[in-house]
Amino acid sequence: MRQFFPVEDLARDERFVQTNMAERLADTRNPMEPASNRKSAKSRSAGNRLTPDRPDASDRARGLMHGIMVGEIQALEGAGRTAHDFEAGDGSGDTIPFELKLDMARQAWDEARHVEISAKLGDWMGTELGEFQENTVLFEAACSNDPVLRLAGVNRALEGLAIDVFTQMKEFGDLAGDPYLEFCEDWMLADEVTHVKMGSDWLRKVTEKDPDRRTKALEFQQVVDKLFSFGGARGDHEESSFKLARRFRELAGFTDDENDTINKLGVDAFNERSQAVKQAQDAASAFADA
Amino acid sequence: MGDTTTTSDDEAPSGATAASTARAPFAPWDRRDLPGMFSVAETARRVGNYKWTEMKLFEALGGWIATVPELDIKMRLGAHCYHHAWHADLWNQRLPELREMKPERLTVPANDAIVRFIAAMTEPEAPELTIEKLVGVYRVLIPRFISAYTYHRNNTSEITDAPTIRSINFILQDEFDDWRDGEMMLQSLITTPEDVQRAASHQAKLETIMVEAGGITGPGSIGGSSSDGF
Repeated sequence: MRQFFPVEDLARDERFVQTNMAERLADTRNPMEPASNRKSAKSRSAGNRLTPDRPDASDRARGLMHGIMVGEIQALEGAGRTAHDFEAGDGSGDTIPFELKLDMARQAWDEARHVEISAKLGDWMGTELGEFQENTVLFEAACSNDPVLRLAGVNRALEGLAIDVFTQMKEFGDLAGDPYLEFCEDWMLADEVTHVKMGSDWLRKVTEKDPDRRTKALEFQQVVDKLFSFGGARGDHEESSFKLARRFRELAGFTDDENDTINKLGVDAFNERSQAVKQAQDAASAFADA
Repeated sequence: MGDTTTTSDDEAPSGATAASTARAPFAPWDRRDLPGMFSVAETARRVGNYKWTEMKLFEALGGWIATVPELDIKMRLGAHCYHHAWHADLWNQRLPELREMKPERLTVPANDAIVRFIAAMTEPEAPELTIEKLVGVYRVLIPRFISAYTYHRNNTSEITDAPTIRSINFILQDEFDDWRDGEMMLQSLITTPEDVQRAASHQAKLETIMVEAGGITGPGSIGGSSSDGF
């Protein structure tokens, strides 16, 4: 078995259809709608956030749950690879501490349970496996040759995103009167806080005497955080689909400054995406006029 | 405290006769025995071999998760990966208690053949080789773990080495459960005569190397190499 495993080779059965982040970002269809375009900008149900009173709530919830499930599959694969890819050692070079390997194995078990939970929830919501595309970006972040970048990209950035998403899904379950969904999301949320804290603690420990490596890892985390802002879909701003779950993030080791930075990344990404959408719309109008 | 005077040495304050609390150090049903076959150094050597092999196993299971397309098997590998990591952790904690303050010094394979066994077991990577991956773990390595742990548990001192026995009992529970999971996954995958041949051929290849190794702790893994009556 190879030491490092490329994302292109991820093993799936024939039901799964994969895409990657580059393809997804290149697609400017279905842009997020600015609050100013809506009839009632203050109404949560009129926003991008998932609420039960939206006409498309069922399909969006099903799509989101499927996205969570494939994300959990990749998180399982990524944690397993980190347990495999690096020898036990002092954390320098191609080694990671023995205890970090154990934590990654523990995370693999947790993620396996999350796949089981989300597969059952998807079935409960009426979704077929493979009904929606699988974006492989999570595993891409787990492919770095530097284990510290994996901790920053997966455990802090992506598992941090999972905290935001699960908090929202838990709230959605509550509002929709679905205790089954709320119960499951609550449990998964507990695990995600643990994984993010694991990432925060190990990142600090492994880079304790290597500030350059830490800086590089935190920069990588920001790149992943921005990618996963989905064009501004996450943050405290009104147009966001996912609100930052600041309390849980704090439990997981994020500082206020870090959460503020993630929020700003979301705002910036939203503005960039709005501009790209406008350019696409202008180009389409010009083409139609010509 | 109130009145502490008593009527006599044999009488409780209530007036009833006090029963003696003097008992034998071992209750009649406690048949644990003191002698064991392993010294501290031999126990530490075996525990170091267990830890090394459990580590190689959890690393392999973790690495394979991304390579198997069968969703249910992917998830089982994730769960089993942690089981074996936990076993490695238990042995890592036991080593300093056996006077090895640098556990990594004894975290070694029993011999070169075990190293070759692990290399051969982890060689299959392609997505269509799930049978080979599972055969190596669940039909060769885990049965060897079960036998080595059982031999150790049944031959070590039940009193002086109780901590090792306690760990082995927890670990054996996992090993039996995981072996059953793995065997059932294999039975669900092996559906044609060609599959049977693939599984048997791969098992024979790995078993041959394991026999050369003499088991997880080398010759004597389940006895037979000294004066234990074999």
